[in-house]
Amino acid sequence: MPFFEWLTTSPWANLMNGPEWAFPVVESLHFMGFALSIGTIAIVDLRLLGIGMRRQTAAELATDLQRWTLAGFALMLITGPLMFSADAVRYHENPSFQFKMTCLMTALLFHFTLHRRATRAGTPALAARLAGGLSLLLWTAVVAGGRMIAFV
Amino acid sequence: MPVASLLEWIESTDLSTAIREGALLYPIIGGFHLLGIALFGGMLLVTDLRLLGWAMQRRPVADLVEQSRPWKQLGFVVVVVSGLLLAWAEPQKLYRSPSFWVKMALFALVGVHALVFRAGVYRDPAKLDGATTSEARLAAILSLLLWAGLIVSGRLIAFDA
Repeated sequence: MPFFEWLTTSPWANLMNGPEWAFPVVESLHFMGFALSIGTIAIVDLRLLGIGMRRQTAAELATDLQRWTLAGFALMLITGPLMFSADAVRYHENPSFQFKMTCLMTALLFHFTLHRRATRAGTPALAARLAGGLSLLLWTAVVAGGRMIAFV
Repeated sequence: MPVASLLEWIESTDLSTAIREGALLYPIIGGFHLLGIALFGGMLLVTDLRLLGWAMQRRPVADLVEQSRPWKQLGFVVVVVSGLLLAWAEPQKLYRSPSFWVKMALFALVGVHALVFRAGVYRDPAKLDGATTSEARLAAILSLLLWAGLIVSGRLIAFDA
């Protein structure tokens, strides 16, 4: 695909492929970004499941943590494409990468729609539990898929 | 040299070979390591950001510290157990990696951090409500820095020759 080939010659791809420290530094920021977002989402999920942080409501936790979740998303979604552009042609053909992107799109879509609704007051307990469990599962799949990329 | 033969012996065990050479085992354990980092990190962030007064200011400090504690402990156990398994798979490579030793030094500092700040900050968080102390802020900043440093040094291990 010409677009991916062009990406690998872009200035930011050159930066990523340039100095030895560039890739590990960006990758570390990627790890911090997903720990920030998935860590704060997990806190809300544990509350939705009814197994943690029960002194607050899910709505309170979701509101309190939202901006940190978003900050994590931002960090993740800047550093991720940077790494992708470094070797775009190979990544887009990598089955683990494709699996990860499918899970990521589903997880993001779910997060901003059904998951957000489930954190509101008055959600039936079963619906809240389902949303919390599904969210944990989706984000786990994203991380697992990401880890597999290097091994496929 | 006894260290060299110890490392060789570790690498010759069935467990080490299975993790190192199996197609799936290494990434799966690596995935658990990352998930543990996210769980531990998320819980740590909530506590530290609250101690700094940057998040969840309306919630009592004690609530957050006490509620996040079991999950922090679970995350810690997952990280340490998966980390030990990963190290068991390739001890000779890690022994030669400078980043690995930086990571272990930071890990030791996590223990020092816990010892130093337990009495003043984490044991009785209720007294921090209303007036967070400079000691609590310092504890929070240092713990965030240590956590970030562990991630960076851990990631750098893969790039050491």
